[in-house]
Amino acid sequence: MEARPVQRSGSRELTNLARTSIPSTPNPSSAPEAAFMRPDHKPLGQQTYHLLSSSNGGSVGHICSSSSSGFSTNLHYSSMEKHYAAASSNDDSSWCNGGFLDFPEDHQAVHNNRHIEDGCIGIGAAFDDIQKPNDWQWADHLITDEDPLLSTNWNDLLIDTSSNSDTKDQKSLQTIPPQPQIVQQQPSPSVTVELRPVSTTSSNSNNKARMRWTPELHEAFVEAVNSLGGSDRATPKGVLKKMKVEGLTIYHVKSHLQKYRTARYRPEPSESGSYRSSSEKKLTPLEHITALDLKGGIGITEALRLQMEVQKQLHEQLEIQRNLQLRIEEQGKYLQMMFEKQNSGLSKGTASTSDSPSKSEQEDNKKTADSEELAPEETRKCQEPESPQSKRVKTDN
Amino acid sequence: MKFGKRIKEQIQESLPEWRDKFLRYKELKNLISSPAPAESIFVGLLNAEIEKFNAFFVEQEEDFIIHHKELQYRIQRLVEKCGDNDDVMFREEIGEIRKDIVNFHGEMVLLVNYSNINYTGLAKILKKYDKRTGGALRSPFIQKVLRQPFFKTDLVSRLVREWETTMDAMFPALTWEVEGYERSAAVSSAAAGEGIFRNTVAALMTMREMRRGSSTYGAYSLPPLNLSDSDLVLRPRHIPSPIPIPY
Repeated sequence: MEARPVQRSGSRELTNLARTSIPSTPNPSSAPEAAFMRPDHKPLGQQTYHLLSSSNGGSVGHICSSSSSGFSTNLHYSSMEKHYAAASSNDDSSWCNGGFLDFPEDHQAVHNNRHIEDGCIGIGAAFDDIQKPNDWQWADHLITDEDPLLSTNWNDLLIDTSSNSDTKDQKSLQTIPPQPQIVQQQPSPSVTVELRPVSTTSSNSNNKARMRWTPELHEAFVEAVNSLGGSDRATPKGVLKKMKVEGLTIYHVKSHLQKYRTARYRPEPSESGSYRSSSEKKLTPLEHITALDLKGGIGITEALRLQMEVQKQLHEQLEIQRNLQLRIEEQGKYLQMMFEKQNSGLSKGTASTSDSPSKSEQEDNKKTADSEELAPEETRKCQEPESPQSKRVKTDN
Repeated sequence: MKFGKRIKEQIQESLPEWRDKFLRYKELKNLISSPAPAESIFVGLLNAEIEKFNAFFVEQEEDFIIHHKELQYRIQRLVEKCGDNDDVMFREEIGEIRKDIVNFHGEMVLLVNYSNINYTGLAKILKKYDKRTGGALRSPFIQKVLRQPFFKTDLVSRLVREWETTMDAMFPALTWEVEGYERSAAVSSAAAGEGIFRNTVAALMTMREMRRGSSTYGAYSLPPLNLSDSDLVLRPRHIPSPIPIPY
C-alpha cells in the first residue's frame, strides 16, 4: 500500500532513467581521448611512462635493477620477496613486489636505487614489441580521473622541484623518444590496459600480468562478445582478436569472459556471496524488513531509502577522508622537502637547528593547522640565506 | 589499540568473502612489539599485504564493472517492456531492481571503505614502527602506497555517484508515509541486522570512532569527523510525524 505512490510514477521514472542514465558513463567516447590527451599535451611516450611511474611508484626501475644487477642492493630481500610472494599472492598474481623492497636502512642506498631506476628507464620504456614473451608488459593506465587532487598530484610529479624518484624518472624520460602506439588503437577504446610486470622470480614464459578493467574496455568486450554470437558462443581467442587492444592477453579475456558468463547466468544476485543463500543464511536488509513489514513494520521503500542514505553518507565521508589523507601526505612531503633544503643550505654552524625540523616532522605535532605554524617558525630560525625560500614557505602556507 | 579493535569489528561485520582480505593489523603490531623488529621482515609483510589488497580490489572492481553494465541493461529492458504501464507485474520487477541497485551501491561503497580502512591501517602501523624503531620508514613508504591500485578508488567512486544519480532520477523522494518515517527507529536497529546495511552502518560508526580525538594526534592525523546528520541515521530518534501529502 505504501508502495503505490512510488510505483505509479515509477514507470515514468524508469523512462526518464532510460533516457538520462543509459549509458550512464559520462562521455564514453571522449573519455579515452581525454585520458590520452592530458591537458598539457605531452607526447604519448612521456605520458605513458609518466603514468606508469606514478602508478607503480618506480617499481619499473626496481624490477630492472633486480634483473640487471642481480639483486645487488636487494640481495637480502630477494628471499623474503619469494617467500612473501608465494605466501600471499594468488597463483597468477604478478604484481610487482620489487617496488617496496628498496627501503634499505639508510638513505644512501635509496639514492642508489634511484639512480638505478633512472638507468633502467630506457630499458623499461623502450618496449617495441609487446608480443615478446618477456617479463615486461607495459601499457598505459588511463582511467578517466575526475579527482582534481590526483591530477594535481601528477602535475606535481612533473614539476622538477623535488628530489624524489618520480621527478627523476621524468627527467630521464625526456631523452626517450615517444613510444609507439602502445595504447593508441583507433578502433579500440585503447584505454586502460594497465598491466603489471611479472615478478622476475617467476618463469619468463608466463605473461600473466594482472589487468585493470574499465567500463569502456568492458563495453568493447561486450560488443566483441555479442558480435561473436553471445557469451556462450564467443571464445576468448575470438574476442581478443575482435577487441584489438594492445597489451590485452588471452588470459585476461578468458578470465573476464568467465566472470561475465557467471554474472549473466545469475542475474538477480550479484557476484558476491552476500545475498545468495550462503551457509550462514543471511538475509538482505530488505528481506529482513519485509519480514518486519508483515508484522506491520516499515515500508520497503522507506527501508531502501534509509539504506541508501547510510551508504551515501559513508561514501561521502570516505571521499573526504581520502582527500584529507592525500593532502596530509602531500603536505608532509612538502615540509620534508623544505627541511631538506634548509639542511643542505645551512652551514655547519646551524646544524643543530636543522636537526630539530626533521625530528619534529616525524614526531607527533598538533594537527595540520599547527604544522603550518611550524614552517614560519623554522624560517625564523634560519633566516638570512634563505629569504626567498622563507617567502615561498610563507606564501604557500 | 583503538584502531585494532575497530578494524576487528569491521572485519567481523564485513561480507564473508572479504574477511581475510583486510590488513593483518594485530600481527603486524605484534611484530613491532617484538624485541628486535627486523625492517626487512616488516617491509616484506607489508608488501605482501599490499599485494593482497591490490589483487582483491582489482578483482572486485572488475566484477563491479560487469555488474554495473548488466544492471543498466536490465533496467533498459524493463523500461522497454514496461513503457508507461503501471502494471502490477512490473511493480514487483521495479521493486526488485531498486533493491538490487541499492545493494550494488552498498557493495561498491564497502569496497571504497575497504580501501580506506587498509590504507589507514598501513599509515598507523608505519607510524608505530617508526616510533618503535626510530626509523623513517613511514613517509616514503606511504608515498608508494598512495600509488597503489587499491588506493585508487576513483572508478568505483564514480560508479557509486552515478547510481546515486540514477536512484534520484528513478525514485525521487515522493511522499513521506507516516508509518514509515516513525519507524525509522525500528529500521535502524532491525535493518542493521545483516548484510550490506549492517556493514555500512558499522563502517560509519568505525569512522566516527576513529576520527574522535586521539591521544596521539599529530601532523598526520585526520581532523574529527563531521557527520552532521549521522545521528539521524545511525541512532533511533523520535521524529515527529510529518504531514502526509495527499495523492
